[in-house]
Amino acid sequence: MVTVDKLDELQIEPEVPELDLSWLNLDTEWGVSAEPGRKGLTLQQINKTLYGDIPATSDDSSARPRGAAAPEGATPRMTPWVLGDATETFSDSAGLLYDEAVSRQWSSATDIPWDTLDELPEDIERAMVQLCTSLTEVEFIAGDVPGKWLPRIAADHYESGLFLMSQVMDEARHTDVFRKRALANGGGLLLQGGGGGLRQILEAEDFTQMSSMLHILGEGFVQSLFRLGELIAHNEAEKRIFRLAAQDESRHVAYGVTHLKYTLEHEPEKAEEVHWTLDMFEDTLVDPDQANPGLAGALVYLLGDGDVDEGWRLFWHVRRKQVLEYLHRLDVAGLGGRLETGRLHPALAGALDEN
Amino acid sequence: MPDNDVIAAAKERLEQSGLPSDWLDIPVHWGVKAKEQATPENGGLRFEYLNVDVYGEVPEYWDNNTEIPRGAVPDTRTEQMGYSIFNKSEVWSDLCAGLYEDAIADRWNSSSDVPWDSLEPIGADLERAVCQIATLMSEYGWTKAQTTGRWLQEISYGYIEVKLFLGTVVFDGARLYEVWRKRALANGGGLGRGGRNWKFLPLTQSYTFSEFVVASIMHDSMLLALLRHGEQLAQTEAERKIYELCQQDIERHLAYFVDHMRYLMLKEPVRREEIHRYMNKAEWYLAKDGDDTLYSALAVIMGDGREGAEEAMADVAELRREQIETYLGYLRQCHLADREDRLNEELRKWAGMVELEEEEKIPV
Repeated sequence: MVTVDKLDELQIEPEVPELDLSWLNLDTEWGVSAEPGRKGLTLQQINKTLYGDIPATSDDSSARPRGAAAPEGATPRMTPWVLGDATETFSDSAGLLYDEAVSRQWSSATDIPWDTLDELPEDIERAMVQLCTSLTEVEFIAGDVPGKWLPRIAADHYESGLFLMSQVMDEARHTDVFRKRALANGGGLLLQGGGGGLRQILEAEDFTQMSSMLHILGEGFVQSLFRLGELIAHNEAEKRIFRLAAQDESRHVAYGVTHLKYTLEHEPEKAEEVHWTLDMFEDTLVDPDQANPGLAGALVYLLGDGDVDEGWRLFWHVRRKQVLEYLHRLDVAGLGGRLETGRLHPALAGALDEN
Repeated sequence: MPDNDVIAAAKERLEQSGLPSDWLDIPVHWGVKAKEQATPENGGLRFEYLNVDVYGEVPEYWDNNTEIPRGAVPDTRTEQMGYSIFNKSEVWSDLCAGLYEDAIADRWNSSSDVPWDSLEPIGADLERAVCQIATLMSEYGWTKAQTTGRWLQEISYGYIEVKLFLGTVVFDGARLYEVWRKRALANGGGLGRGGRNWKFLPLTQSYTFSEFVVASIMHDSMLLALLRHGEQLAQTEAERKIYELCQQDIERHLAYFVDHMRYLMLKEPVRREEIHRYMNKAEWYLAKDGDDTLYSALAVIMGDGREGAEEAMADVAELRREQIETYLGYLRQCHLADREDRLNEELRKWAGMVELEEEEKIPV
């Protein structure tokens, strides 16, 4: 066997690579420059000239950056297939949302004032850790899903790829922060949530269908809830968690809405497919058999601070807001009319009559 | 201790309203107070501090195929979610939780943490060479993020620390992609020529996570050896910073990959030959990729232009030798020192290692 010591004895001159300067004479676009602006050098500022042109279709499964010259010689397929049509994954806002994600990263270890977690009454602590058990679970799947789709994103549509990569990071932090809250203040993890539609998001084989479920309906509902975190939180730490998580969710929702808008502008015939997906997903969300048994009870209990009647009243306030914001997002995306045409699930439409 | 009266009253109120209350009956492991360790000196509430009581028991085999959080009580109605990795030895490293928090603490922003205003004209050849390197760096960042991301759906919550850390690797890959793209498009240049990508196939094709890990060790250690020359290669303060920040990220990735592989070799030494086969494959693709564009671009930089490139090739060869040495060094840390005997013949030449006598070769 050759030992490390013996290697020195075995050393000879390393082989010299072949010098090939053909890349000095490429016909890629040259003379491009960008100046940093108020927020530094963002993607928006480099997306100029030919490098900013988004191809409507791409069959390139390689990692070659958009605008780079093709390599000489044979190249392999990197993945069996890519989502080559821009309508499948693109969003005009993806680059901007990625830049924002990078600039708004936060740390659950140091940006949450954990020292404000005072001892809570046991029923309240239990309700909070039950809510956090459900949320760490939901966020766990929300990170798996973009990970699954990453290898299928064409490098020519890199903005969407970068956005999804930032989402993976955000969801890791959400999974982490709700687990931390559950284990920080004397409580623990309670009852698993029981699915509640998570499987449908994972198993979707069409990106736009997945995004409609995950980004628009699922994360949209979660974002509306987090924005009302003041009603649930009992201390500054919990308020900060909901506020920071809501900020991240806003980006994910915005991506979903702008992606759907882009898709429907270019392929309006896809509207019925998305409607059908939402029919199915709304049905799952309100199905009592699919419902997370701990989530609703804990949420009502927290909203009412132990007063269940008051909690119910506030729950319907939250649900109404969730549905209104959901419908508004669909309007913006160009998929309005679910309420007016009676397509919105009756249980969700009914929430608008409450209060 | 739980206050039974308070819980009983809460249950009654919920039941009167028709709400489920069984979650209040869960025999919770009460009294876990991770917040007590969340001091500024300890770096706040780091994930490592949660691993107490049952919540810190990482099982050798995780037998739940749903998204149930480790330590929670199962709801048996939940559908299986399609995970495929249930063995701790396949993914684990004790360093994961800490590396996850380190990644967040070390976060940086390519828009604002790189002194872009330090860029200045550097001459056409040098700009072309920097842009060519930037193009290839971007490719690797993209590949790293994509190939790491696809493993997330395979790993169950039993090994949550691993998944959280891999989430940071995906994000670091995104930044590796975009910071070099920015460099290429910021200073009067443009993108160069894409690589042939054959060398990335062991990453994209891997059937097991361990296969992905050994291919990552090879690519990351070779990249790290290059990044360590940042001071010599950088033409401006902006590039110096880019090299420094990328190096910090890649070192973290390698810390996990190497510690995991060490763990696997200790736990399942029977897999040693299988792992060698993955390395055979990764090295073969690297050697056969046959794309010397990167090294030629490095020669132009080291030679201060195309005229000096030929002479600089000796320095480039030395850098490439360091890359192989770095790779072998990390393998030694994984208890895979015997790789030196089995290194791909082409890579042996890169490293300046004499060919082994026939009787010294271990059959591949």
